[in-house]
Amino acid sequence: MSQRTERRGIHVDQSELLCKKGCGYYGNAAWQGLCSKCWREEYQRARQKQIQEDWALAEKLQREEEAAYASSHGSHPQAQAHSQPSLAPFSKFEEKKTNEKTRKVTTVKKFFSPSSRTTPKKETHESKTPSPSIARQSSIETDRVSREFVDFLKNLQKPGREIHKQSRAFIESMANKKDLSAEELSECVQDFYQNMSDRLMTHFKGSSERVERVMDQVEKYIMTRLYKSVFCPETTDDEKKDLATQHRIRALHWVTIQMLCVPVDEEIPEVSDSVVKAITDIIEMDSKRVPRDKLACITSCSKHIFNAIKVTKNEPASADDFLPTLIYIVLKANPPRLQSNIQYITRFCNPSRLMTGEDGYYFTNLCCAVAFIEKLDAQSLNLSPEDFERYMSGQASPRRQDEPDSWPQTGSSVNPALSQVYHNLDLLVGLNQRQEKVLEGARSLQTELTEWQESVTREVQEILERYPLDIRPHASAIDSENVENDRLPPPLQPQVFAG
Amino acid sequence: MAAGGTGGSNKTYSFKVVLLGEGCVGKTSLVLRYCENKFNDKHITTLQASFLTKKLNIAGKRVNLAIWDTAGQERFHALGPIYYRDSNGAILVYDITDEDSFQKVKNWVKELRKMLGNEICLCIVGNKIDLEKERHVSVEEAEGYAESVGAKHYHTSAKLNKGIEELFLDLCKRMMETAQAEERAKGNGASQTATSRRGVQIVDDEPQAATAAGGCCASG
Repeated sequence: MSQRTERRGIHVDQSELLCKKGCGYYGNAAWQGLCSKCWREEYQRARQKQIQEDWALAEKLQREEEAAYASSHGSHPQAQAHSQPSLAPFSKFEEKKTNEKTRKVTTVKKFFSPSSRTTPKKETHESKTPSPSIARQSSIETDRVSREFVDFLKNLQKPGREIHKQSRAFIESMANKKDLSAEELSECVQDFYQNMSDRLMTHFKGSSERVERVMDQVEKYIMTRLYKSVFCPETTDDEKKDLATQHRIRALHWVTIQMLCVPVDEEIPEVSDSVVKAITDIIEMDSKRVPRDKLACITSCSKHIFNAIKVTKNEPASADDFLPTLIYIVLKANPPRLQSNIQYITRFCNPSRLMTGEDGYYFTNLCCAVAFIEKLDAQSLNLSPEDFERYMSGQASPRRQDEPDSWPQTGSSVNPALSQVYHNLDLLVGLNQRQEKVLEGARSLQTELTEWQESVTREVQEILERYPLDIRPHASAIDSENVENDRLPPPLQPQVFAG
Repeated sequence: MAAGGTGGSNKTYSFKVVLLGEGCVGKTSLVLRYCENKFNDKHITTLQASFLTKKLNIAGKRVNLAIWDTAGQERFHALGPIYYRDSNGAILVYDITDEDSFQKVKNWVKELRKMLGNEICLCIVGNKIDLEKERHVSVEEAEGYAESVGAKHYHTSAKLNKGIEELFLDLCKRMMETAQAEERAKGNGASQTATSRRGVQIVDDEPQAATAAGGCCASG
């Protein structure tokens, strides 16, 4: 690298001014002839190497996170303009501003959240704080939602600009209201929804469908931004309630389908499938940020419940069937931060959705289910108070009570997961036996083979012994085998010549 | 909440109607007959009968009706207030062959009047008139009671499809009248929506607390 800089000093021409990587941008001597973007990449690589050499693993991780943070909030507007070539100049300008805003918000937020980048160790004992990767994820999501919002408003032209301006102004004003109680915050958001929809109503001349569409986007944009500061705020006891509900549901683990009179037969594969999907959906609710998305999770969960009931009973589900099943699902799922989510939806959802629509109905049922679980007593499960007490304290389990001898068996009253486990165990035992049989077979095959080999050897030996190899000694004379020896004239005898 | 456009002539009313009644009085059959015109039919297309909607056109006005079924079992009785909050109408169903189910209706009427006042339109419905021979609730008693609490009484049979159209049509007309009267009283709809929008909330404690709050707001 030092060579390159030396050469630069000697002769500078047009090609030398460009980035060494040939990306088309101008390079800079300070960046060793690279443009800002390539330099960043190059520098990153060099730094990475250095880290590997010198730094401990923990510090390395922190650096990576830093890099990602820098790039997600990065200040290179060029790159942004490239990724969004279709944006009108106005929107570009707006977006830059929006990005500045994001940065500001995060810095402010860093004050409040204990998990700032410099203190990653705190996470271990502060379970509520999001991990850095989640924080990064959410900032990416925020950017994406903002872009979508801008894209959506682009189609509305002038009123779209107005909507964006107001929404941003509102979010900014909310940043200064962190000390307000949750109810007051909710009041602010609801007033904003009300004003906005009134205005839109005049603009669209009463077309409530279009107003709703715009309001959905506004809600999405605003609540994605405000989520962190207004979800389960410290000014409320939402978290305490969450924990209470969670403990309560855990304490009620022994409640069975029969006690709740749930019209669902989990022995049917399609039904148990729907039950699992419903449980997944209700748990997923916590991961959404927009109230409307959370509602969609509840609705999807409800649809799976209806399917389970319909398959079991072969008739459409009434509320008499639905509510007990929903209660059962909530008990099974024990969804995280249930109270916080319900409060959040109640406070910040666009009211028109919550009041009359289908989503509202399912949400109301969820509220009912939670209220029922909180107040659940012996009477509501048709149990005697003594039994209820014993089950709650863990002294007895209803299952053992009913069939004390046959507990570990696949009865209908046994938890489906347990019966699955037993089934699998049976399978494993069977497999084990089969494997042993195979092993035994292999062993006998092996002995057979050895025996065969030995017998062959023995046979060969016997044959060898019976017919010993008889090697007759060779005659030493050359002519020994010559049969026609005697026909030959006798050898010449030496004769003495007197001479 | 009678939400809808503010434009004069093409206004759409949205009404929420709750369906209350004990377990086996035939609530589900009633709505399925109304919305799908089917009774105990294997070909019912809907996945569920707990939330149904119906679009109507009454005297040139569009009406969106959302019918909320409620769980009728005794153990869920305390959850009623969560369901019928902000509803415009309530249909209270009893089985004419079952005296108990009529007593339940009486309990609900008391509760509804206490919680929602006179703004809610009540319909008391004696279902299963195809079983007239086994009647245990007398017509006079039922109609007399309905009148005494400002409710209307209907006789229906989901099985024979009797009286159901009339019931819902009547209810819609009454709800429209109530909504129009309310609008006139308040001048415009905006303030009304502002006050009622925060409706859906969990009732933490006994409903008495909520009633007290409601009374306080009404007087202030």
